[in-house]
Amino acid sequence: MTTLTLFLLASLLLLAIGLAGLVTRRTLVGMLISVELMLNGAGLAIVAAAKCVPASEVHGQLAALFVMGLAAAEATLVLAMILVVQRRFGKVTLDEVSIIRADGSEASH
Amino acid sequence: MDQVIDKIIDTLLAYIWSPLIALETMIADYLPGQDIAALIAYAVYVLIILAGGFLAIASRNLVRAMLGLVLTFLGVAGLYLLLACPFLAFMQILIYVGAVCVLIFFAIMLTRNTNEGEESKLPGIGSAIYGFFAFVLPLGILGPLIIINVPKLELKDYGQTDTKLLGEGLITNDVFSFELISIILLVAMAGAVFLAWRRRPTPDEAPK
Repeated sequence: MTTLTLFLLASLLLLAIGLAGLVTRRTLVGMLISVELMLNGAGLAIVAAAKCVPASEVHGQLAALFVMGLAAAEATLVLAMILVVQRRFGKVTLDEVSIIRADGSEASH
Repeated sequence: MDQVIDKIIDTLLAYIWSPLIALETMIADYLPGQDIAALIAYAVYVLIILAGGFLAIASRNLVRAMLGLVLTFLGVAGLYLLLACPFLAFMQILIYVGAVCVLIFFAIMLTRNTNEGEESKLPGIGSAIYGFFAFVLPLGILGPLIIINVPKLELKDYGQTDTKLLGEGLITNDVFSFELISIILLVAMAGAVFLAWRRRPTPDEAPK
């Protein structure tokens, strides 16, 4: 087991945990938490590869920083979406929200 | 007097450290060529990640799930420190624990989904089976592939990455990505404000 393998396995663990959470969670907030876990695994894999392969490590670390920025932007947008869904449907469970339409003529099924 | 105290401290430290050193040599016999302290730190951080991740996806209380998420973030920050990337570790704590978790906490509180919400029920048997496969399949398929295919590489050097190099990279080679991520953040913030904007009905418009 070399360093790169160990750290890639750790990021794979984060991916698997996040995927399991994404499948089992019932609300949008729980799914947001799981997606953050998976994004964290992606950043860890990028940094581990950047520190081990012979290429420049600055690129890899900056890519991980960009992943963090993307995660922050994504969390902001999902928060707004959760607010809108909560306002229109009264719940944020996925079973309730099966219609997303602009005109709002059929707000719930 | 000082010499006596020093000697006592040395003796105590020797008693404390000698089992650890014996353990380390014992492990080193089994795993030659590995830095044992780094392996132990790695194992501790992975355990932290596992515990936090389990709490994050399995807790029936979303606030506790968020605390598990914080634990996982701290574990990943420890792994960054182990990779000798201190700046990334601090950014991880600053951005994820400081910003993203606060956003998630807002989401939990705004949907009043804390304790007796929809998540407090256990998942159905079908969803539990899906979750099991979603956990096992990536580990079972990608794990052996990683172990077999990833090139056998160690850390290039054990020195810390100079933060100055990161800053120079941001304004020279990666300046386009930097501008792009700024625009993405701006658009995301503006989009979030637009989405969450509650349009008040004008006085001549009948309220719904």
